[in-house]
Amino acid sequence: MTSPYPTPELSGRKFFMNFPVTDTSHALDAYRARGGYQALAKALREQQPADVTKEVSAAGLLGHGGAAFPAGRKWSVIRPDDGEPHYVCMNADEGEPGTFKDRWLLEYVPHMPLEGLILASYAIGGRHAFIYIRGEFDLAYRRIQGAVDEAYAAGLLGENILGTGYALDVVVYRGAGSYVCGEASAMLASLEGKKGWPRNRPPRLTVKGLYQKPTVVNNVETLANVPVILALGAAEFKKTGTPKSPGTQMISISGHVERPGVYEVEYGYSWERFIYDDCGGIQGGRALKCIIPGGVSTKILDANEIKGVTLDHLSAVAAGSQLGSGGMIAVAEGTCMVRLARVIQRFYHHESCGQCTPCREGMGWMERVLDRIVRGDGRPDDIDRLYHISNANDGTTICSLGDSAGYACTAILDHYRDEFEYYIKNGRSMHDGRLAVFDPFDGAVPTPLYAGAGA
Amino acid sequence: MSADRKRGNNEPVDTGKTLDFFINGVPCTAYKGESVIQAARRAGVDIPHFCWHHDLSVPGNCRICMVEVEQDSGDPWFDIGCNMPVTAGMRVLTETDTVKKLRRETMQFITLNHPVDCGICNKAGECILQDYHYEHNGRASMSIDRKNHATKFFPLSDRIMLDNERCIMCTRCVRFTHEVSQSHALAAVHRGDHALIRPAEDANFNEDAYSDNVIDICPVGALLSRDNMDNARVWYTKATPSVCPGCERGCTINIWHRKPEWALKALDPQLNTRIERVTPLENETVNGPWICNKARDLATLLERPRATQAMVRGTAASLTEATAAAAALLAGARTAVALVSSWGSNEELAAFRDAFAGRLGATLTAYAKPDHLPQPGEIVEDAVLIKADKNPNLRGATAHFHLLPADVSAALAGADVVLVWGEGVDDGVLPMGAKVIRLDGFAHEHHARADVFIPLSIQTERSGHYTNFEGTVSPFVACFEPKAPVAHAEALFARLAGVVAVAEART
Repeated sequence: MTSPYPTPELSGRKFFMNFPVTDTSHALDAYRARGGYQALAKALREQQPADVTKEVSAAGLLGHGGAAFPAGRKWSVIRPDDGEPHYVCMNADEGEPGTFKDRWLLEYVPHMPLEGLILASYAIGGRHAFIYIRGEFDLAYRRIQGAVDEAYAAGLLGENILGTGYALDVVVYRGAGSYVCGEASAMLASLEGKKGWPRNRPPRLTVKGLYQKPTVVNNVETLANVPVILALGAAEFKKTGTPKSPGTQMISISGHVERPGVYEVEYGYSWERFIYDDCGGIQGGRALKCIIPGGVSTKILDANEIKGVTLDHLSAVAAGSQLGSGGMIAVAEGTCMVRLARVIQRFYHHESCGQCTPCREGMGWMERVLDRIVRGDGRPDDIDRLYHISNANDGTTICSLGDSAGYACTAILDHYRDEFEYYIKNGRSMHDGRLAVFDPFDGAVPTPLYAGAGA
Repeated sequence: MSADRKRGNNEPVDTGKTLDFFINGVPCTAYKGESVIQAARRAGVDIPHFCWHHDLSVPGNCRICMVEVEQDSGDPWFDIGCNMPVTAGMRVLTETDTVKKLRRETMQFITLNHPVDCGICNKAGECILQDYHYEHNGRASMSIDRKNHATKFFPLSDRIMLDNERCIMCTRCVRFTHEVSQSHALAAVHRGDHALIRPAEDANFNEDAYSDNVIDICPVGALLSRDNMDNARVWYTKATPSVCPGCERGCTINIWHRKPEWALKALDPQLNTRIERVTPLENETVNGPWICNKARDLATLLERPRATQAMVRGTAASLTEATAAAAALLAGARTAVALVSSWGSNEELAAFRDAFAGRLGATLTAYAKPDHLPQPGEIVEDAVLIKADKNPNLRGATAHFHLLPADVSAALAGADVVLVWGEGVDDGVLPMGAKVIRLDGFAHEHHARADVFIPLSIQTERSGHYTNFEGTVSPFVACFEPKAPVAHAEALFARLAGVVAVAEART
């Protein structure tokens, strides 16, 4: 069996997608044959926990979950020897629409993030670590659970790892299908068996996290980078990518491109080359209309805005958006942006956890306004209303779901206000029929998902 | 009682250390660990809040308490006052244009799916949402879309009705059942704007002895008492401070009853003198902001059939005649025993002691007796508020008199006159042949068998103080005029002891 995903050779150095995928390439033996767990053995035998953190900090590893927070800085808050229990939690609740790169890692190199998890636990003095995996993942769950089982059998987990005296137990926990549980504090609440509601900071999770103890939550890809850094050394790792964004980024691209899939891209690679060469351009030879760069929570960029931009955090921010979680969606010319906005808003309405007032009420309100526009009952002041709701959500909620929904909506409005005005004025889309984003209701207003309590 | 409660950003507050900071330019002092909203509250600055409650943990979900913090350089930053710890020198602003705008936006969101059915809502008139709307928003809704619908009249328990459309998901009730009453009986189900408060699957809200507190802490009219549903508009009623006589905790309460100026003329006049409802009167030293359900049901305790007719050997007599007869019996007694009520106020107990001061220990022995014992099915004692002794003032009574021994018959043996003040003593334990004088506010069959019976006023008809088991003295105030000519115990004892008669004879 070959990889279901294309692994083109164009986009620079590879850390993860650098081997032919076979039926057994995810297993422990194959991983060890590729040099796996050598970094762990070296770290446990020769390095102090603080050295591991120092190495990761020196490598400048940025979080790959979306916020690009330096991993080393997060770890260094925790004192490994303060006598308290510490936890590391691997965030495998990959729920951002358009993002499926962690799934590739979990399915094809599950030992890599697992090795990273063990190293991270060693670095912060953890005795227990957790893998919170999205409940909808099936193969990914079986592969990572299989990897944990293999690691236990091989003495890589449990008491006295590799004969060094270090002990670590890992629990794989399956989520129950909530987007907001990908937010770190909500994930920990869910892991504790509570309702997956984010909680206020302060205190930060590295001060009071899981079971009120210092906790590090890292994305799958972030942890998968840790053994790479320790194997290569920070200096060598930094040679990959750009100075401010060292390393590579797993990008899952979907939408109207010829070859959607998961790609590993070295930071600093040309965005246009990625779309037009690696991914084969836009379906049917159409023009690119816009790009959702890193999951629907990031602001869209139109075809002009990505001209000359490279795929790294600084350039993406300079272009007016973020790389986010690497969940890229290409949108071809001819797509109705009003309906696209509605699909996105429908998602946020469905996934808002219901805690903070602005998000709880605002998400549904925005969806109802967009529904009305799509139905042909839009009012001229609806655009201002959408801006108003988005702005009122900006920075006023516990987690960033409300902010993100607002950004997503305002970015589309900023770029394509004329389409909204046309739709409101004429009661129909500027782009009827052609390459529309799949709309199961075809413009009709669906019955509400929840008609109320008892229903 | 709330010393152990989680506070200030869910961390304990260290009252030993203080920090100086500024609210709206005015220097203030905060304790270490206090949140901005707590310190502001102590400084007399009110920051609006729905979800925050001073005796519950901090969820920070309503977002109305947003405040501005001035920075030395750069833009000010905004955060919720309930979760932000005070730091030294912090400059908090609560009334800037941006803060007011944020409150206005939040109020728009909160009222977005709220039905605004104040006209038929029991909470109207004492609703935080109503107040805040006028204070911080005051505008029509910006929405032109339909409101979400949800269940109306969902019975959370036999006592409490939930209106999900009015609910603003502040989760105060859920946190109350987790943190105070410990019943864990409520939970939030579903997500987003279709989230609902529901009974938890593995708990029973009926078994929560403190469940009715969620009605008080609900900032809107979502949680309502089924007993008091649609009984009276709050502006027709007034609260009189009182003390719950249900147990020796002596929780301070408000007894709500109809304002005299709004007295009903056409309907049953009893409605003017009934207890509409009972709510806690917050009291840091006794009960905090909570009371148990027994206190809510005080009407069933205090509105039992009343004794209204004085009797001499079962025959109706005037109060004066009955008092004279009782005084004569006591005057002639050689070994009288008095059983003193633990429902008497401190003033009444002192009046009894003073009136009989010359005879106590000689020809009169007085014992403090518990009037009420735990009823079958009643919670005897728990770790929150409920205490085992079901009388409000046994401590006050035992300050003057010895506690009635368990063997009542032995204590009474040899008495020729027995004075029973209050309830809880049946004829069976009284010595054969002894003359019996009974003083009571409530009707009992054995009153007719007493040699003298004098009806007394009850707690809602007189004022006084109770001393609770910890020695805290709390006042209660009369709500109503006595319904019939009954004696006030405080004035009665001097007459029974003959002291007044002597004094009157001298003048």
